[in-house]
Amino acid sequence: MKYRMERNPLTGEAERELASEIRQLAGSAAEESSRPPDAYWQNLVVKINGKIDDATSGKALSISWAARVAIPGVVAIVSFLVGLHYYVPDTARYAPSVADVVFALPPAAIDSLLIDPSRADPSLSVVDVATDVFVFPRQQIADYFIDNGNPGAAVDGMSDREANTILAVLASAHK
Amino acid sequence: MEPPSDIELVQEVRNGRRQAFTALMRRYQERVYWVARRIVGSHDDADDIVQETFVKAYLALGEFRGDSSFFTWIYRIAVNLSLNALRKRQVLNYLHESELLSRILPSSDDPGKDLENSEIESALQRAVATLPEKQKAVFVMRYYDEMTYEEIGRVLKTSVGGLKANYFHALRKVREYMRHEIQDGEKPPYG
Repeated sequence: MKYRMERNPLTGEAERELASEIRQLAGSAAEESSRPPDAYWQNLVVKINGKIDDATSGKALSISWAARVAIPGVVAIVSFLVGLHYYVPDTARYAPSVADVVFALPPAAIDSLLIDPSRADPSLSVVDVATDVFVFPRQQIADYFIDNGNPGAAVDGMSDREANTILAVLASAHK
Repeated sequence: MEPPSDIELVQEVRNGRRQAFTALMRRYQERVYWVARRIVGSHDDADDIVQETFVKAYLALGEFRGDSSFFTWIYRIAVNLSLNALRKRQVLNYLHESELLSRILPSSDDPGKDLENSEIESALQRAVATLPEKQKAVFVMRYYDEMTYEEIGRVLKTSVGGLKANYFHALRKVREYMRHEIQDGEKPPYG
């Protein structure tokens, strides 16, 4: 550091000597000859005022703002709304419930959906079918089986507690 | 009657009196022009910079808090714009040298020559043009405008110690350049 300071003495005296030498070498006429004429300074103020007018007028502001923000923004919003209008499905018209569809089927078709699997596998209860496929209330399914002449299937769907309750009722009736 | 101070004029501009800004322009346009001209080296570039400086200053006058003088504030804008112009020119020069622009722009016998400053008439201007941008800015403010290091520090937002080193290196480079060019009649190998 000391060495650098000795090599580059940042003193006012050294600085003045260097600047003085440069001034002697450069002379003073060159820059004066390239000075703009007086008319330039008059026109400069007029030009700057004109630019300030352009920059602060509503027209300039609106054009730049519109080009950068407003127009792309409006186009994006309109495109979104048009897409929303034409391409979103009408849920009120096209989304009937599963239960409505199933109960609109003929009984044979409903049997094929619910009864046949239980017949194919005796271990499969109505509860399993309902849970896996449609999630109907168990009482509704039991009523359906009873109404359609298959009360055994309704019994299969009973829980142990329900079955015990029915057995207790039957036993007391026989007594 | 004394002319109004810078702060008084700024306050008048803020109150909607546009003529006060014209008064500020008349007061500082030459100094702003010359700092730009000495950094970028050409009248045309300096003309663009001085216009942009005052337009920017007018639009940003609301942000001027008065921590520094109005002149320091506007001078800082001018120096930053000048340094930006230099960087753009360096990029253009690089593109010309790499012959990328020659495929885009109309052909010229010497494309790089178009970018060189034909108005650099004096040896001093040519010497200043060889300085790195920071040294160039410090040299212009100190050598020509005789600003104090504290003032330059406020413009460039840098320490006085660094500025002194920059100015000293700049002085030595300029002197060496001019000795070679004027006394020996040839350009030094650097620059």
